Amino acid sequence: MAQQQVPDSDAAADAAVAADAVSRSYTRGGGGIFGGGDAPTVQALNEVSMQVRRGEVVGIAGPSGSGKSTLLHLLAGLDVPTSGTVTLAGDDVSTLSGRQRARLRLDNVGIVFQRFHLLDALSARSNVALPLVELGYSKGRRRERAETLLDEVGLDGRLTHKPGQLSGGEQQRVALARALASEPALVVADEPTGELDSETGERVLDLLVDIADEQAVVLASHDQQALDVCDRVVHLRDGAVERVV
Amino acid sequence: MLRRFRALLGVAFRRVTGRLQIAPQRVLLSVLGVALAVGLMVTVTGVSLGLASQSVVESDGVDYWIVPEQADVESIAISTGGVRLGDVHSTSRDIAADERVDYATPVLLELVPIEDATTGERKYVLAAGVIPGESTDVLGLSTEQLTPGDPHYADGSYDGPWTGEVILNDAAATVTNTSSGQSLSLAGNATNRSLTVANVSTGGTEAVGGTVPMMLVHLSELQTITGASNGDTADQLLISTNDPSVRDSLEGRYDRTTVVSRSGLSAQQVSTSNLPLAVAIAALLSAVVVGVLFVTTLMGLEVSADREQLGTLAALGVSARSRSIVVAAETVIISLLGGGVGIAVGGLGILGVNRLGTETFGVDTVAVFEPRLAVYALVVAFGIGLVGAAYPVLLSRRTDPLEVLSG
Repeated sequence: MAQQQVPDSDAAADAAVAADAVSRSYTRGGGGIFGGGDAPTVQALNEVSMQVRRGEVVGIAGPSGSGKSTLLHLLAGLDVPTSGTVTLAGDDVSTLSGRQRARLRLDNVGIVFQRFHLLDALSARSNVALPLVELGYSKGRRRERAETLLDEVGLDGRLTHKPGQLSGGEQQRVALARALASEPALVVADEPTGELDSETGERVLDLLVDIADEQAVVLASHDQQALDVCDRVVHLRDGAVERVV
Repeated sequence: MLRRFRALLGVAFRRVTGRLQIAPQRVLLSVLGVALAVGLMVTVTGVSLGLASQSVVESDGVDYWIVPEQADVESIAISTGGVRLGDVHSTSRDIAADERVDYATPVLLELVPIEDATTGERKYVLAAGVIPGESTDVLGLSTEQLTPGDPHYADGSYDGPWTGEVILNDAAATVTNTSSGQSLSLAGNATNRSLTVANVSTGGTEAVGGTVPMMLVHLSELQTITGASNGDTADQLLISTNDPSVRDSLEGRYDRTTVVSRSGLSAQQVSTSNLPLAVAIAALLSAVVVGVLFVTTLMGLEVSADREQLGTLAALGVSARSRSIVVAAETVIISLLGGGVGIAVGGLGILGVNRLGTETFGVDTVAVFEPRLAVYALVVAFGIGLVGAAYPVLLSRRTDPLEVLSG
């Protein structure tokens, strides 16, 4: 029986993101050439509830296949649950079109990837400014905002460097600055220290904690060092909440 | 909206230039594909322009004809009775005064009835009234046996010496049964002036059924015979020169006239056909098809290889429309780069064609490169980019951001 963390209604209203009994299943394959067989269904997440408020750092932990990434995708509005509700910035994600969810992410979610995923042809400054392009900022405002953020993550001397000219830690800090560019309510980080050595990872985690004064941060990780900085850690097993620490 | 569009174009431009520095192979292949297609088009269109300028078939000088606008260019050699040019003696004298001009003469064309010397029957001969120069040919007949100049004109008084000299071509001599030294009688008492065959020459204008019976006479004498001296009219002005820049000074000399360039009847036939246009259109279609195939295939591969980055953009919340703009702009930029290189390739192609033409056929200019050809090439490259962007854009829109996070 999956252990659930049911949010109370006042807390849910205050949350930057809230998941209420969300499940997610996937259908694998097409059931044979003639479609005669039943396609196997994989239950990736089963009635999970959680909420994250601004100023909180919440970790998601669990072994591979436990549903960490699936939950992170749902919280970030990248995917929609099969059942249950994800409320992001007051909107029920399930009711939105793909275009509306993209706009919701742009306005409210910053994403930090394990492998940084910077655009390798663009400078650090241009990478950070990317979300601001979509938001229609002027060139001057984009530059100013990007330079401020890169200064905050300690990369003011690397503005025009391309990702290939930066170390892994520097790239992840650029990615973090990019995630903060639109001043989102929620920052999700998927294994943010997975590609970094422990010292560099620690520095990135410190930055994540620092920004959590204003933003809600959800990070999925295997790394105990990363989970140690979290206010709460939701442990998942077989798609369900095993415990919350 | 416009600001975002400009910013997205900037992103596309920086991605292309960045890719040229980081992993240029596919971009360069795309550029090369478009460059070859556009270069081929530029070369072939250059040849078309060469054909259309009507100076390529024969290289031994350039002739210009000033003809009334409604004159049919195909029939300028034999058309008679249409709208005529006036004050042609002084005009041709002015034109001949230009040191770039070797020779200029008005040409008056009239069908003249001649009595058969044997039977007395009326026969029609095409008479061309010209101002003979030294060793010049008009309509394929040499004016050498005519007294140079136009003595009877006498500065417009038409009372100068009457030479009565006529040069017949073979066909006219046969039709009228006359030979060199004989007198010619105009049928119907058209004039009491005497005409004498100064020479019978081969040549003239070919028509269906054989050579047109023709004769050359002094312009003022034909004008006197036919009544065209009133207003000093003629059908056309022929200017012989080796300097194509003369054309500019000929334009506008008369209202409602056209300056036609040619180096002989064969050139004229080529120029008045639709061949140059057909060749240019074929080159355009080939370039578009080849260019689009290249761009579509290679940019499709590029987008497939770039799914991670496009997925990143999608995950960050960049809309499908904005991603489409970026991909389409990248495709157009690459295509324009190809167009730029293609202009250089085409220019070299034109040089090569001309060199080959000179060495093989002795023709100076087979293909022509004009600045507007470069603009045309860039417009075509832009079109190739736009059409070729459709498939890469479609691929980019299918990019799933979850692929990135799952990676």
